[in-house]
Amino acid sequence: MEGYGNHIVQYSPEYSLCAGCETCSIMCGLTHDGFTGPGNARIRINLGTRSLMHEVLACQQCDDHPCYEACPKKDAAMRIDPDTNIVYIVEDDCIGCGKCAKACKFTPSRIQIRKNKSRKLWKAVKCDLCRENPEGPQCVKYCIVRCLGLSDDSVMLPEGVMPAYAQEQEVANA
Amino acid sequence: MPNYSIEDILENPANTQGLYGYSGHIARINLTTGEVSDVDTYQYVPKYVGGRMICNRIFWDEVPTGTGPYDEANKFIYMTGPTTGTGIPAGGRSAAVSVGASNAPNMFAWGNIGGWFATELKYAGYDGFIIEGKSETPVYICIDDDKIEILPADDMWGMRVHEAQAALEEKHAHEFKSIVIGPAGENLVRFATLTTGNDSVLAKGGFGAVWGAKKLKAITVHGTGVIAPADLEKLDFLRWNMNNPGMKPSPVLHLDAIGTPGAEFPVKYDRGNMSCSPGCNQHCNALLMDGVSAFGDDLVNHTEKCVSICTFNYTTDIPAPVGMFWPTEQNYCAPCKLLGRDFPVPDFSDPHFEEQAQVVLPDKLDFWGPDYERGTIVNDLCNEYGIDKWEVVVWMMTWLSMCKTEGLFEGMGNLGCEHEIDVADAEFMKEFISNLVYRRGEYGNMFAEGMHRAIRELGYDKFSETIYHGRYSTMLGGKRTDLPVSLEAAWGSSMHWQGRGYEGSVEKPTWLAACINNMMNTRDAQTVEHFHAKFDYHAEAIADPYHSPHLIDAIIAVQNNAEIKDSVMSCEWQSPDPWWPEMESEMFMAATGAPMTPEELRDAGFRSKLLFRAILIRHYGRTRRQEVEQEWRVMQIPDTWNEVADWQQFNEMVDLIYEARGFDLETGWPYRETYEKYGLADVADEMGKLGLLPERPAERWSDYGEPPFVKFSENRKLEPDYEPDPVKASMPLEGAPPALKFS
Ligand code: SF4
Ligand code: SF4
Ligand code: SF4
Ligand code: SF4
Repeated sequence: MEGYGNHIVQYSPEYSLCAGCETCSIMCGLTHDGFTGPGNARIRINLGTRSLMHEVLACQQCDDHPCYEACPKKDAAMRIDPDTNIVYIVEDDCIGCGKCAKACKFTPSRIQIRKNKSRKLWKAVKCDLCRENPEGPQCVKYCIVRCLGLSDDSVMLPEGVMPAYAQEQEVANA
Repeated sequence: MPNYSIEDILENPANTQGLYGYSGHIARINLTTGEVSDVDTYQYVPKYVGGRMICNRIFWDEVPTGTGPYDEANKFIYMTGPTTGTGIPAGGRSAAVSVGASNAPNMFAWGNIGGWFATELKYAGYDGFIIEGKSETPVYICIDDDKIEILPADDMWGMRVHEAQAALEEKHAHEFKSIVIGPAGENLVRFATLTTGNDSVLAKGGFGAVWGAKKLKAITVHGTGVIAPADLEKLDFLRWNMNNPGMKPSPVLHLDAIGTPGAEFPVKYDRGNMSCSPGCNQHCNALLMDGVSAFGDDLVNHTEKCVSICTFNYTTDIPAPVGMFWPTEQNYCAPCKLLGRDFPVPDFSDPHFEEQAQVVLPDKLDFWGPDYERGTIVNDLCNEYGIDKWEVVVWMMTWLSMCKTEGLFEGMGNLGCEHEIDVADAEFMKEFISNLVYRRGEYGNMFAEGMHRAIRELGYDKFSETIYHGRYSTMLGGKRTDLPVSLEAAWGSSMHWQGRGYEGSVEKPTWLAACINNMMNTRDAQTVEHFHAKFDYHAEAIADPYHSPHLIDAIIAVQNNAEIKDSVMSCEWQSPDPWWPEMESEMFMAATGAPMTPEELRDAGFRSKLLFRAILIRHYGRTRRQEVEQEWRVMQIPDTWNEVADWQQFNEMVDLIYEARGFDLETGWPYRETYEKYGLADVADEMGKLGLLPERPAERWSDYGEPPFVKFSENRKLEPDYEPDPVKASMPLEGAPPALKFS
């Protein structure tokens, strides 16, 4: 995909239909922060309340990353991984100004602002492809119907990522 | 302000036990005064767990006796559970109670609903709400984080379900999640439903009419806060282990025919798996795509489960394998997998496999023939007007079909319709249903009151108790067995897994269990109290279904589990797992971090059922005689083996259930010590003051009296006992669901 780095993609319904369970967003929040909510889900689902067809909204890791360009604390709050080109946020340096969220070229923005009772503690959150998690993308790991993958090679899940008991189940279910 | 961090949840001064999982607040919203206030969740938990258990407690504490469904004093109490929105599988559901409009007589009723609404509500900082009073003009409630407003709904009044949902998204934002009523609720159609965004419906109880009486069109919610489960490791374990999640692609299925081999009928039937609520790790096979709209819209996608399928074709009853109710450890899978036709290859080495796989073959009923388009139209009518499909499909349509066959409508025109009465005709169904939804004419008004009341208005003996001559038992080689034209069970509900009529293909212990569960309820209990027991006890139960100690234990467990499921929050199709009895307590602990043994949780379920019982006794004078009489008629209709229940033995079975529950045998009322044992001493005190605490008799009571008169039984005696009809016996079972396929 030209113009975009490796990012989360949704497969076609003919391969696997998104069930609208929001497990991907919930687990994204839980694995990053230990809690879950719309403010820390780096992946969101555009729920089809009438069509019952759901669209996954994830950051595309744009090569030109306007979000990064807009950040007043570029290279501190918002940084680019030199090896993978993943655009990610370092919360300690983020001042929660929201400029990145506004600059995202997609609507709705792929960047959420995680609120706090103290306005000073608002933080931007965005998909970092779980770069610090040795298991890789958690949304992919937990999607029950396997309708999520990575754009580059469409790897559904790096091997050995699932807990042993789950792997046994996959074998049993195969 | 919503909780924006774990600290916000834990630092809530009311949260003295440091519980995770809950949001901590319940909104009290008064539609008469417009006042909104805050109720603290932690005064109820962990004792009342969440969901239905809290609802029961609030109802007991707050709703005065003598309150009718449409009274200002009636409250609509809605609660999520501690697992809701946490990512613990099946936790996304929620429960509600109120005085029902659909049951007969009108009493406390309960229900549950999926959808994304419950989770969104917790993001806004609320575990639930209590709606009080009634508005004079149409309104809706908007919960936007902690800002709660009662707003005018004049422009939405009259809108169908999906129009109203779209209007709310338009007014607010797509992120707002709503529960709405359709025109049926507005017009106080007694079996009106509440519907949320993914077509998940709270159908039983007639709460749509309760909202209609309050002039409440909708509640819409948006939250920006957080939900925090306590134990992420445990949560992860539950996700991968509850009911062996498939973790595999789930493509859209394109079917061009359904039915048993040799008796298929053509459909354009695209189906998919969907989840009813956030965090589910299974997904039911419930998404029906490209159905024909009843309103001339484009093709529509619906959520359709169980009963909806019967709209396509109802020539036979639904066959059921024995193992569906009586699983072995080797061959157990969650019911959602059965529904999704996603169950694993059976373990043929199971010594009971043959018995398990035996299917009770369905009765031939010939209510209506295959027509896929008509089916989707009927479903769409129910979805858009907001009415209960159980009432429409299982009771109204079958009744129309049977009465017509028996010539009962002669001299009554077409019941106020221009189209000839014919349930197989989509145009008739559109007209008949829209007449009742808008209360047009004599019959529209009559049927808006629900089948229980309409039949009594028309004349009970004729329109309920007449024999339908079109039922043939496959199990008896085609012998004609009698069925009344009205498939009514207890408390104004239709039959449901009760061994006759609808989902009739079950053995006696199973239908006795379903009857006991419905008997002790206020509505059809089967939606959360489907009976299951381990196969180990099948032989004992078959040998003597009325006196099987294990069957009694299993019934009590099923009843308690219904409360647990609706409180921890789980779903009927995932819970319980007979071989993982700790599952729900593990879910609770993963969500809250508070200790809860399976025994403590079981006791909480018992407590909730006791509170329910106390409500029934205090508010509605519930007695043993009352409930046994209610259930008696349905058991006097022959089952598929042409057998009926025995009065003496059924009463002995009721004795065993009451003893296990700590109830007095004569009155059916719990003793003081029963209340006290389960932490309800205050309830016992109140019951004592009202003279509703029984004394233990010196001698065991057994004066069952005479069974109540059942007109249908009398009619049966007048009928010749029909011999098998070789033609009927050899007819293909074209109404049966597709043959079981092993994935
Ligand atoms: S919210 Fe944070 S990451 Fe976004 S632009 Fe402002 S400082 Fe940068
Ligand atoms: S946040 Fe938006 S602009 Fe930035 S990389 Fe992701 S998709 Fe592109
Ligand atoms: S890859 Fe990781 S950060 Fe990105 S959406 Fe998925 S779980 Fe969240
Ligand atoms: S986990 Fe998978 S099925 Fe569920 S909402 Fe996310 S993408 Fe859809």
